[in-house]
Amino acid sequence: MSLIISLRSEILKSKRTSAFYFTLIGAAVIPFTLLVNILADGLPEEGKTSKDPINAMFNLSSGMNGLVLFPLFIILICTLLPQIEFKNSTWKQVFTSPQKKEDIFVAKFLSIHLLMVLFLVATHLFIWVVVLISHFLLPQFNILHHSFDAGKVLEDNAHAYLSTLGICAIQFWIGLRSRNFIIPVAIGLVLWFLGTLLVLEYKSSASPYFPYSFPAIRFSPLFSSRLDQVEWTSFGYSFLFLAIGFSDFRRRRKLK
Amino acid sequence: MNNPVIKTNALSYYYSAREKTLSEINLRVERGSIYGFLGPNGSGKTTTLSLILGLLDSPEGSIEVFGQHLHSDRVGVLKKIGSLIESPSLYGHLTAKENLHVYRAVYGASKARIDEVLHIVGLGDTGKKTVRKFSLGMKQRLSIALALLPDPELLILDEPSNGLDPAGIIELRELIKKLNREHGMTILISSHLLGEVEKMVTHVGIILKGKMLFQGTLSDLHSFQQKGAKLLVNTSDNNTACELLRDHQPENKDGHVSIAFHSLQQVAKITRTLTQHGLDVYLISPQKNDLEQLFIDLTSSQS
Repeated sequence: MSLIISLRSEILKSKRTSAFYFTLIGAAVIPFTLLVNILADGLPEEGKTSKDPINAMFNLSSGMNGLVLFPLFIILICTLLPQIEFKNSTWKQVFTSPQKKEDIFVAKFLSIHLLMVLFLVATHLFIWVVVLISHFLLPQFNILHHSFDAGKVLEDNAHAYLSTLGICAIQFWIGLRSRNFIIPVAIGLVLWFLGTLLVLEYKSSASPYFPYSFPAIRFSPLFSSRLDQVEWTSFGYSFLFLAIGFSDFRRRRKLK
Repeated sequence: MNNPVIKTNALSYYYSAREKTLSEINLRVERGSIYGFLGPNGSGKTTTLSLILGLLDSPEGSIEVFGQHLHSDRVGVLKKIGSLIESPSLYGHLTAKENLHVYRAVYGASKARIDEVLHIVGLGDTGKKTVRKFSLGMKQRLSIALALLPDPELLILDEPSNGLDPAGIIELRELIKKLNREHGMTILISSHLLGEVEKMVTHVGIILKGKMLFQGTLSDLHSFQQKGAKLLVNTSDNNTACELLRDHQPENKDGHVSIAFHSLQQVAKITRTLTQHGLDVYLISPQKNDLEQLFIDLTSSQS
């Protein structure tokens, strides 16, 4: 019950923050790009040839999201949310309120996950808007009469979510530690870029153990068969860094 | 005597290994009192209050709040405390009401309590204006509203009049007296201005460079001040005046003679002595007895 109260408090804080708007804007990036592309060049090639335009649009979105946008979104959101307290100098009010430290910590982590889920849901809602617009713009394809593989979309999203759990916990810890906005973002971007290179460019055997490589594993023919193992590892990293993060958070009483 | 609401025993704290910020502070705040915690900036007031609220870790000595150690039941103790430490702690992107809503359920306060505390601090009509557009005084008032939200048994206010205009300071003083009188709230209020708090406090603690110089009731403090009261005299011949008033431990400095006095009758006698010896008295006035002077008196009385 006390965790729910703390979570509610966290959700109220994020109302009208850049973190909330950023989630919605970030979720609209791929659908908007897709729409511009459709307006300029018609349906994507994959949609035309497969004669499966709805699933083709969702596939495109899932690829771009899982590899690039979603990990970057997590890196930024894990910094933006703790910044609410740093920017307003409200840590002392948080710590003098009758909340357990573990509730504060977990509630903040859960509020990030709520935004992650919102991001994924919003992306798909926006894609549906693009599908609807395309249906009326390109009546010859009769888009809405094609099938939609909801199971595949759900599976793709689950992979995207699970493979980023480790990154999320690490970035959350760094975000809580740093009053400076740039440092956690820079660390995250560099490590994500390195991780993606390790998988796609160097095809390194270390990549299934490096959390920042995990989002790219799904897109590598060499490593995709180890996706289950990677997702479990991601889950393990998440617990490990949450434990480290909490012990650090508990130790530091006055976060200025 | 009541059990104290706050009791510290030989509380010491180091921000760094070399620098002792607090040295053996024995603070005792009685239930139902308004305790003025006085000291110049950097004397250790905020550090002491932060330690009491558990914002700083690992002090030497002990702290008891409501008769128990804070960490034995942190949530239970903090539920009974409203606090404002240093600058206002508010979410700039939210309205006054939304700021209070963030903590309403945490403190178990009712929705009606939000309007009530906003009304108490005079912010009942700020509507959809976000806090970042508030003046410093408004932010300070909202912070006080937040501290009042749980209807606390103990209210800890660190320099609450910062940013308030003179009218706001008077209103705050009346509010504090009212909360103490009508709600039986124990209030610990820190300030660097004696004049600001002496009109409302029942007890005073004075801290300087991390050491407690004085602790007692306001009347104890007034007795002390009376003992150390000084008169400033300026005459046509200050050296002769010093000779004539040597029983009053005169000090001739900055064009004035400073002398000790204990009663108004003594002032009349001093004036008579000077005029009877042909000296013209240009000025005779009590020396300003502000906190700075009090610190000097307290420090010299201890040395």
